Amino acid sequence: MAPAEQVGLWVDRHGQEIHAYLWRFLGDAQDAEDALQETFLRALRYRGRPVAEPRAWLYAVAGNVARSQLRRRQRDEARFSQLDDETPAPETTGGRDLWESVRRVVEALPVKQRQALLLRRYQGLSYGEIARAVGGSAESARANVYQAVRRLRAAFPEEVR
Amino acid sequence: MSKHKDNEDRDLERWLARASRPSASPSFAVALDAAYGAGPGEAAWARARRRVHDRLKASEPRVYYDRVEATPVGPLWVAMTDLGLAAVSYGGTESAFAGWIGRHLQASPVRSAERTTVARRELREYLAGRRTSFTLPVDLTHVTSFQRRVLEAAQAVPRGQVATYGEIGRRIGRPGAARAVGQALGSNPVPIVVPCHRVLASDGSLRGYSGRGGLQTKRRLLTLEGALLV
Repeated sequence: MAPAEQVGLWVDRHGQEIHAYLWRFLGDAQDAEDALQETFLRALRYRGRPVAEPRAWLYAVAGNVARSQLRRRQRDEARFSQLDDETPAPETTGGRDLWESVRRVVEALPVKQRQALLLRRYQGLSYGEIARAVGGSAESARANVYQAVRRLRAAFPEEVR
Repeated sequence: MSKHKDNEDRDLERWLARASRPSASPSFAVALDAAYGAGPGEAAWARARRRVHDRLKASEPRVYYDRVEATPVGPLWVAMTDLGLAAVSYGGTESAFAGWIGRHLQASPVRSAERTTVARRELREYLAGRRTSFTLPVDLTHVTSFQRRVLEAAQAVPRGQVATYGEIGRRIGRPGAARAVGQALGSNPVPIVVPCHRVLASDGSLRGYSGRGGLQTKRRLLTLEGALLV
């Protein structure tokens, strides 16, 4: 099988969950689409090397791609922040407002905590699988999830009843 | 307090494992699920998927191949990479040859008469006795370094002459490797153009030829080149 064919099969088998992960991690549809392409192009460049667990490996590659995209975005945002100050904020609907505020809180989490939380709750990975996807141990994956939750509880306090 | 903490941890684990009912979720969980639960949606995935497949197709190295009809040694398949002629195959089906390209050249096979024009023309002319050498570059980047040295040594044997397996072994600094030399020549991916047929056993017997027609084809090529009397 030609490498592009192999990677094409991975796209069909694992692409949808990887896309969802990137969409959640990056919080932007266009960025997620770009990162998805980059993930599978990187997979293609690894052709010939056997990959024992393509799903876990693709999560790891996608995580690397997403982190470097975040760094690039931060640079760009720093560069263009002056321009931003002069542009009026776009009008938002209620749903959009919630999405923005949740996103802000989640994006303020340390990257490892954000990744671990999203992978556990929304991508359905076990702590062991998270460890393989982002490095470290299953225990540290669990600790990252719990630390993320602690910060989120503080950001969204329970209403006093 | 620690009892409460245990319960909280258990509820949290259930939420994380997507096993809890919404009524049990704390505020942060409700907010998070509202923002992240649904994901990008099927339409966004369909578009993203299509674009990934397009990018993969565009970035995959291609190998162009086509068939050379009715030569004196039968029909041939040829395959061209960006570097040159990478394969000549005696007959077989198109799907078998395309599959071989994918496996051995790590590329997508694309049938193209245009990209193989020179290869097909030179092979036809050579086999009809109207050409004595090839101008085509040969791409040997897909074989082992030992096989490459053997095939390059075979390329250096001039038309109309022959060498022995032992001589080729000596020329590449591996005297005594005659058997390995024979195997490397036997799996020559570019027969005819890389003239493995010019290499014989030390007693002058033809020994073997893995192309279609076997020794008869080897004899035919050597006769064509004037190395053997009919």
